[in-house]
This record gives sequence, C-alpha cells and structure tokens, in this order.
Amino acid sequence: MFEILLNHYPVLIKGLTTTLVVSLSAIALGLVFGVLLAFGLTSRHRWVRWPCGLYRSFWRGTPILLQLLLVFYLLPEVGIEVAPITAAILTLTLNTTAFQSEIFRSGIAHIPAGQIEAARMAGISAWQTRRRIVMPQVLRLTLPPLTNEIITILKNSSLISVIAVTELMRVSEQIASRTFQPLETYLAAALLYLAVNLLLARISAHLERRMAGGLATE
Amino acid sequence: MFDLALLWETRELILQGLWNTVWICFLGCLVALSLGLVLAALRLSSPRLFGYPVACYVELCRGTPLLVLLFLLYYGGPGIGLRLDAEIAGVTGIGLYGAGYFAEIYRGGFKSIPKGQLEAARMLGISPWHALIRIQIPQMLRLIVPPGTNQLIILVKESALISIISVDDLTKNATTIVNQTFNVIEPYLAVALLYWMIIELIARGGYALEKRLANRQPRHVAQPGDTAHAHG
Amino acid sequence: MPTADTTTTPTAATRRTRGEAIVEARGIGKSFGELEVLSDIDFRLAPSEVVCVIGPSGSGKSTLLRCLAFLEPYDHGSVHIDGQLLGYEERGGMRVRARESRIDAVRAPVGMVFQHFHLWPHRTALENVSEALRLVNGLSRRDAEAEGMAMLERVGLAERAGHFPESLSGGQKQRVAIARALAMQPRVMFFDEPTSALDPELVGEVLDVMKQLAHDGMTMAIVTHEMGFAAKVADRVVFMDQGRIVESGPPETLFRTPRSERLQQFLNTWRERHID
Repeated sequence: MFEILLNHYPVLIKGLTTTLVVSLSAIALGLVFGVLLAFGLTSRHRWVRWPCGLYRSFWRGTPILLQLLLVFYLLPEVGIEVAPITAAILTLTLNTTAFQSEIFRSGIAHIPAGQIEAARMAGISAWQTRRRIVMPQVLRLTLPPLTNEIITILKNSSLISVIAVTELMRVSEQIASRTFQPLETYLAAALLYLAVNLLLARISAHLERRMAGGLATE
Repeated sequence: MFDLALLWETRELILQGLWNTVWICFLGCLVALSLGLVLAALRLSSPRLFGYPVACYVELCRGTPLLVLLFLLYYGGPGIGLRLDAEIAGVTGIGLYGAGYFAEIYRGGFKSIPKGQLEAARMLGISPWHALIRIQIPQMLRLIVPPGTNQLIILVKESALISIISVDDLTKNATTIVNQTFNVIEPYLAVALLYWMIIELIARGGYALEKRLANRQPRHVAQPGDTAHAHG
Repeated sequence: MPTADTTTTPTAATRRTRGEAIVEARGIGKSFGELEVLSDIDFRLAPSEVVCVIGPSGSGKSTLLRCLAFLEPYDHGSVHIDGQLLGYEERGGMRVRARESRIDAVRAPVGMVFQHFHLWPHRTALENVSEALRLVNGLSRRDAEAEGMAMLERVGLAERAGHFPESLSGGQKQRVAIARALAMQPRVMFFDEPTSALDPELVGEVLDVMKQLAHDGMTMAIVTHEMGFAAKVADRVVFMDQGRIVESGPPETLFRTPRSERLQQFLNTWRERHID
C-alpha cells in the first residue's frame, strides 16, 4: 500500500484535487441554494412550498448514482453539451441543495419566533432580519449536521468516476489495472479519503468550540 | 412523449433488477443491524476493552466511501484469497459499512436511557448482563426507530453502487435499457420511482413500528379474585 | 446467587438478637475531583431502626446514602453490610474494587428507592415488581407475578397492576418503586429523597406507606426534607452539613434542643417556610 502511495502520488494527488474541487464547488453552491430552498419550503405561499417540496423529495429520495447517470445521459438529449466535470458538479449541487435545505429549515425553526418579532417591531425589514439576526445563529446551530453533509458529499464524489471524471476513485482504478494490485491501491485510496474526512471533522469540532456560546437557549 | 410501452417491453430487466436490489438490500441491512448491535453492546459492556476498536471501526465507515469498500471486497479480495460473487460482495459491503453507522445509532439510544434505571436494577441484584438484555436493549430499540429508519433508507440508496461492481440491480439494468433503446428518461425515471417506493415503504414501516412500540394501553392482569374462579 | 432469605445463617441471626448493626460505616470520605463531599463519616443502622438524614442541599446526604449502597465508590473508610465489606476486596494486601457479583452478594439485603422512581417504562407496574424475582431468584413468571401482586396490594396499587408507568401519577410510581424493592425481601431499605420530586398532594400517600413499613419493623435509612415525618417516625435523626455529620440523636432532642448553630439556622429557615 505504501509503495503505491510513493510511486503514484502525483496522479493520486491530482485525483484528490479534482475530488476536492468538485466537492467544494458543490458544497458552496449547495449552501447558497440550500438556504434559498429552505426559505422556499417555509414560505407562506402554497405555490412556492409545493414545488420546493417536490424538488426536495426527488433529490433526497433517490440514489445519487442514479441522479448522476440521469443528468449525464439527459443533458445531451436536450442539446446541452457539457464537460463531464460540469455535469458532476451540477448533479452534486442539485443533490446537496435538497439535503442542506432540510438542515437549514430545521435550524431556522429553532430560532425563537420572539427574536424575529422583536426585530420587526424595531423596524428592521424582513430581509435584514433574516440576514443579520436569523442566519448568523442558524450557521452556528447547523455546523454539526453541515459537517456530516460535507463529508457525505466528499464520499459521494467517488461516484462521479462513473461518468468519466478523473477524480481520486478513477485514478485508483487506473493504477489498480496497471499494477495488478487492487488491494493495495484501494487501501491507499481509502486512507486518503479517511485522512481528508478526519481533518474536516477536526476543523469542524474546533470551529464548534470557538463558536460555542451566544446561541438562543430558550 | 413518455413511452410506457417501452417499460412494458423491458419489464423483465426491470423486475430482475428490482429483485436483486431488494434481496441484496434486505440481507445487507440485516447484517448491518445485527453487527452494529454486537459492536454497540461490546462497547457498552467493556468500554476499556472495546471502546477504542469500535470507535475506530465507526470512524472508518464514516470516513471512507462505500464504493471503495466494495472495490476492496470485490477487486481487492482475491489478493488475500477472498473470491466473492458480486452480489455477496454487495451484501458484505453494505453490511459492514452500515454496521458502523448503526453502532453509533445504538450508542445514542443507550445514552438516552436514564442512568437511574440501571442503578435501580443493580440495587435489586439484577446482574449487568440481565440488565443489558431485559432493561437497556428493549428501551434502546424503541428509541432508535427514527434514526434507524433513516439509516436504512440511506443504505438502500447507497445500494445503487453495487451496479458498479457489475451486479444486475435496478441501476445497472436501467443503464442497460438506456444503452439498448437510446431512451434516457423512461428507464431512469421508472427506476427512480421504484427506489422511491421501496424507501416510502421503509419510512411507513418505521412510523408504524414507532406507534406500536409506544406503550399506551394497559395490559390485562389477573386480579386476586379471578384465580378463585379458575380453580372453581 | 443471593437468596431472599438470609436469616437462617447463624451469624446474621445472632447479630440481630445482639442488636448489632446491619449497616456499619466507618471513616467514610469521598471527593469528586478537587471537591471533598464527604469527610470522616461514621454511620450505623441497627435492626428495625429508622434513621432520617437531613441537611441543606450540598450537604452530602444523598452522596452518603449512595456510598452506603456503593452506587458511588467511597474513597476512604469502609462500609459493612451484615459484617461483610461492601465494594472492595483485600487482594495481596491492597484494596481493589470487588467484582460486580461480589458487590451484588454483599448488597443483597439492601433495597433502594430513588427520588425519581426509575421505573422501567417498557414494563407494566406488575412487571416492574416481578422482574427481579424472575431474573435474580429464578421464579417462574406466574410465581413472580403472584408475589408481585401481593407487594402491589401491600402498597395499595393492586388495581393498577397492568398499567405502564407513564399512566401513573408520581405518588403511584413511587409506591410501585417501593413495592419493587420490597419484592426482594430486603432487610434494610434506603430512601433517597423519596418525596422530593412529588407534587405536595401526592406526598402523603408515599409517606403513609413508609410509615407502615417502619411500623412493621423494617430497618430504614431515609434522606428527606420532610421534617414532620422525621419527627414522628424516626428513631434517630442525623443532621449533615458540608460533608460532615454535625449532630445526631432522637428527633425530640434534635428538633427541640438543637445544640449546633448550623442546625438551629437550618430549622429556623425551615420553620419560616412551613406551618408546623
């Protein structure tokens, strides 16, 4: 396992980089759209809530591999030609948006209504209230489930090898077929994934400790 | 636009895929539930001996993709003399991977049981082993139905990965149909619907189980007067 | 396996007729990290004696009771139940924590009732009472439930036998807890603030059961805030403060002529808040 790492580390690192680029892009986009979708899910207007709910149901309730294949094969059919990596980021974003919307929706629900009322009574607009009062607290509350989701996306990125993106998993497959040492190669890949995820968990725990305090406890 | 006839023509492939997905998921989840319980019970009964190993196992499952594990079992297995059929590799992979998550879920359940109940049991002379089997595990099982159901659903979705190690499950057969007929929407949507139905069934089952385990109705007890009648 | 009837052993019987203590604690000390919660406590319970332990919060009274039951390990001193050391064994001149089965065996004559009842929610009242009879004494389900019903009748709850704890009131739950402890035929019962978690109207039914137990000759150690109960039922009252026993004696002496200033303060505070 260690010879594999030593001999092939340039391609492995390149694959890992692709993994990280795809994952982080999806996470970042998912954050933005996830928050928007969360507001959509809690909207007062039924015609906003229903499509949002349907979206969430589909993207949370079906296998991500299926979603990748669907998007990958469907886009050319409707005349859109994109690089596999773009299709990968698109699918992962669509997927994580649904999960993150649920995380944020739950976090928003935890903020006591009284705080929002107090803000509105003081003349702060609805949009400003969300931005300055609600979201900062929500971000602190949702750090643990968000970390889990980020780890999940990183692991899901291994699937995009199926649609011909040369990330860590695909690189490993290539090395394995060249060296005829699948056991050692995949162990090396596992080690790399594990290392990244443990690092993430550590960072998150550290952030959690620093952000502790200053949360609504009523 | 939506070609239902196509689905009817390819129904054998779809049903075959459905069957494989269902039985592999079922067995895999069974292994995950059982192995996870063993791990959790070991950690609970001897934290000093088993605490660290079980925690490592859990971190391993959390930190690596299921796909890597499947590849290790199926492609890497022969390297250590393990030649598994793809389906068995699938069951094993899902089982081992899910066990790590379930071990954590069971642990959370055990932690939610008030410590005092265990103290009361010990004061009555009930041994730690009996307390585990009769007091802790029954209560823990009720507490973990919601997160447990959620995890089962996650495993069913992850099972689609076995298509990559060439199991003819729903996903693989859908792709086969796509490649054969050049229709993308019908096969994938139909298969998505089937996955969604399996998941809905599990979700509803979990909800029903929750309701059934919540003790509402008193149980009938023979009162002192009754036995007099029974003996005539 | 501990049996319910330990009175056949000559030593125990002799001990009783001689009036020797069932529970004997000497020099008990305990710390939680830096904080010393018990210092040099001596405590004994003679057969059929009822002792109430009173004191302000944080005085260590609950901790003392839990140490006597070895629910918390004590750091210094020794606790003997019926002449046998509880919680520790001498091995090669060193004191080590005893095996769980040994702790069970020494602790068998002791029954305990907790402030928060700790009934098992997935078992009915009757099942709660009969569970230990089945598991520890090996009784069949039918025999265990027959004995369980007898216990429930003793505390006046026979008609709620098939109910789950969540549909019982606090006072009923505590009475079931008492029945559960009684089913194992203890020779001494520990009560850790048995009525502190109850609504005022429900306190009386539990105290009545405890009064009856005392009347029937049960040896009892009770940590409580119920001064009226202590005054009427206790043979001896022990006042604790800051981890030490400050005063100890018959209730009439302690309540009417408290010697220490701390006890006087404690009683004054109590009287200001209650109509005696």
